[in-house]
Amino acid sequence: MAEASVEFELSVERGKIREFAQAVGDDNPLFLDPDVARGAGFPDVLGPPTFTVTDLWQVPLGERLERLGLELDPARMLHAEQEYMFTRLPIAGELLRGSIRICDDVEKMGGRGGKMRFVTLETRYVDTEGDEVLIAYYTLVETAKDPGA
Amino acid sequence: MSTPPPAAAGVPLEPRTQCDQVAYGPIERVDIVRYAGASGDFHPIHIDEYYARRAGAPTVFAMGMHGAGFLVHAVSDWFGGPHRIRRLKIRFTSRVWPGDEIVCTGRIVTVEDGVATAALEARRHGPGPPGFDLPEEQVAIVGEADIRVSESGG
Repeated sequence: MAEASVEFELSVERGKIREFAQAVGDDNPLFLDPDVARGAGFPDVLGPPTFTVTDLWQVPLGERLERLGLELDPARMLHAEQEYMFTRLPIAGELLRGSIRICDDVEKMGGRGGKMRFVTLETRYVDTEGDEVLIAYYTLVETAKDPGA
Repeated sequence: MSTPPPAAAGVPLEPRTQCDQVAYGPIERVDIVRYAGASGDFHPIHIDEYYARRAGAPTVFAMGMHGAGFLVHAVSDWFGGPHRIRRLKIRFTSRVWPGDEIVCTGRIVTVEDGVATAALEARRHGPGPPGFDLPEEQVAIVGEADIRVSESGG
């Protein structure tokens, strides 16, 4: 039975932020140095704008697709688009609550005649006060089946 | 006519301004593995050569969000900090292969009410997979961002 939404918690931790910032080569002190972050008016270091992709550690992609009732072939899936609407960036030490739902699911004809399926998942993150932090839209495409395969 | 917003960084805040091109990388296989661990994206097509070839790819390739991370890094540096980004939309147009550099460019499209909208592009630049005959450079990501460029904006 498919679920209407998948709920999870994302603990925003300094060490995880450091690891993530290093993986995209970004040594901005706002991500790494709590004193610099406080000096700029933030309670602690910030998570980089794309930091919330780390919620794949909370709910792996395969699990979220399955729980939302989406049957897709992982070998034909590609990440097509990504969008973020920010109220603010995540802050180390806080606990975010995330909620994932299907936002769009459409088929389009591909360049070589086969059907391509575009699925958009919306993940909304709120803080412990229930205030919105950011919304992420993840769009994947399931490419057409290769007729020769 | 209001006074122009103060510059958030070194970029003059006027339409058509080109941001300084910046290149990151090259991205090697170990960097892809590092991003897998950091992000939690363990899709084997990015880290398992055998799986990638079975899926029809010439070799492993970087996650789209890995390249996006570099592009956002550039936006953050151009406009005075990551916290100024209000909206970001990106589309992945070609894959980034081991050995590729990520070359990021941006151009201001509009500045309104303290918010700049910038058109973004990240190009892969490198040899591509051996024997795959790719152009040396391709657009890998196109995107758009809204950035708060004055204290009252956005």
